[in-house]
Amino acid sequence: MIELNGITKTYTRPGGEPVNALIDITLQIDDGDFVAIVGTSGSGKSTLMNILGLLDVPSAGNYRLRGQDTAGLSTGAQAQWRNKRIGFVFQTFHLLPRTSALENVELPLLYSDRVSIRGLGRKALESVGLGDRTSHRPSELSGGQQQRVAIARALVNEPDLLLADEPTGNLDRRSANDVMAIFQSLNQSGRTIVLVTHDAEIANHCQRIARIERGRIVAYERVTEPKIALQGAI
Amino acid sequence: MNTMRLVTHSAGMMGRHKLRAGFMMIGSFIGVAALTLVVSVGLAAERKLLKLAHQMFGESSLMIIDGGGHMMGGPRNPGTRLKIDDVDAIAKQVPEIESWDPQQGLTASVRRGDLADTAQVLGETERSEHVWGRPAVQGAYFDDSAVRSSERVALIGQTVATQLFGNENPMGQEIQIGSVPFRVIGTLEPWGTDPHGMDRDNEIVVPISTLMRRLTNVDTITGAKLLIAPSAHEDQVVKSIETILRERHGLTADRPNDFSILTASEVRKVMNSIKRILSLYLPMVAAISLLAGGIVSAALMVASVNERSAEIGLRRAVGARSEDIRLQFLIETAATTLAGGVAGILLGFVLAQMGATKMHLGAVAPWSAALLGIVSSIVVGVGAGLWPAQRAARMSPVDALR
Repeated sequence: MIELNGITKTYTRPGGEPVNALIDITLQIDDGDFVAIVGTSGSGKSTLMNILGLLDVPSAGNYRLRGQDTAGLSTGAQAQWRNKRIGFVFQTFHLLPRTSALENVELPLLYSDRVSIRGLGRKALESVGLGDRTSHRPSELSGGQQQRVAIARALVNEPDLLLADEPTGNLDRRSANDVMAIFQSLNQSGRTIVLVTHDAEIANHCQRIARIERGRIVAYERVTEPKIALQGAI
Repeated sequence: MNTMRLVTHSAGMMGRHKLRAGFMMIGSFIGVAALTLVVSVGLAAERKLLKLAHQMFGESSLMIIDGGGHMMGGPRNPGTRLKIDDVDAIAKQVPEIESWDPQQGLTASVRRGDLADTAQVLGETERSEHVWGRPAVQGAYFDDSAVRSSERVALIGQTVATQLFGNENPMGQEIQIGSVPFRVIGTLEPWGTDPHGMDRDNEIVVPISTLMRRLTNVDTITGAKLLIAPSAHEDQVVKSIETILRERHGLTADRPNDFSILTASEVRKVMNSIKRILSLYLPMVAAISLLAGGIVSAALMVASVNERSAEIGLRRAVGARSEDIRLQFLIETAATTLAGGVAGILLGFVLAQMGATKMHLGAVAPWSAALLGIVSSIVVGVGAGLWPAQRAARMSPVDALR
């Protein structure tokens, strides 16, 4: 699914020294894998996530997504890939305020070239257990419910890669467990998931853990016995 | 990428930010209302002025007015020297003059039994109908023998007829102008109100000789209208008239004219300057208020773009291209200003109709004003949206999401 080869990202802030956010990252993520990228804040994990999600481009190195080199993609093609093949989940949910759950979930369909979009949003909301909350606004939902709406949004175009940036960072333990349960079930049905976190407990729910420190991958190992989250278990 | 889906979605987004949308709408609402009002009234006034100028001057004519000075309607030296003989002499000596009508007038009270009216009484010759182009709609003008023998006959305007006769037929009836009895021999074509607010139907036309002898008791006239041949050179005719009049009035070279000559081309010049004010300067003032509305809209949208950077980043993340973001903000701005503009057209039109009625300008044309209002609100909307939309489109998704 994902092959990173010697990825380096250097920022040049105006009037400052160039900062190396990522240094020579080489990483392979297989189809159907569930990988946690773990590191402290400032370690470069968000930058790596942005590059994986085609929101940012590396300064050097090679990134192949599903066997295709991403360096040659036009911005339009990048947008199309983000729309069709990648689903994003953020720490702060990024739901549009004053907008119903269903409309939020349907947002990616707005930029899709699908002819018919009927029923897709509802189906996605049902798949995260919120079929009865379609007309609720974000302000009327709990944090956990909001994050589930955001997951439904990431799923609506049926991508095979999910990228989650600290998805449980703003949630209580119980909601975090529910979210991890959803991710595990999505992973079991074949989706590749990459999850950024600084929480070891959360990372232990994944199949593999990649540790990142000061822009370098320092470890990439399989979790021997992943924790299993059950919906409503806590 | 389904553009219609995005357009509908973007227009709907404005409803989520009611306060901002409200302020933006008010901006274009006021601007478009002002523009519609000014342009509608301007067009109606212009039409009215042109009609009036045509009534007064026709294709080729000029006026001699007693007293010096050269401004239409400006202060003139009190002249008391222009006489009927002067005009007759000019008409005889200048071959280009086809017809002429000397005029003298006064404001007098008119009575019939207990009914009274204060009307403008004009003394004219039998050529008045042809020279002024105002026919009698009932009866007929007096003839030259009536002028020679100073007959007490009168043609009355619509207002006078209504005031003194109501629904009765005024023909052949007797009225008193001042204390002199006149017989009504006709009614005048209705002319309505002129731009000074004078009711041109509150007029009575009597033979000029009768008026001068029995009502004003003077031997000078206020002026005369002369019709000249269409082929004649206006400047030459004016020169000839000037020479004749100066000689008859015994004016030496160092004395200014004690009369003024008003030509059609001079009136056209005045008309053009009025037209410029009506169709250029006034709309420009209104356009400035619309521009101010547009700037307010642009500023509010820029603030909105900054405030919604997370939304922009998210949209990029789920597949929006920067063109889609640009289009969205452009449509949001344009849809809002257009909505305000349409409401502004309605208000402007209602105000224009009220104003035009009050100023007796007749009906205002709805379509040109509505079209102008819609076009200008679209232009302002797109204009105000361009900068914020560009700003939103240029945001890098990574920065926008932070």
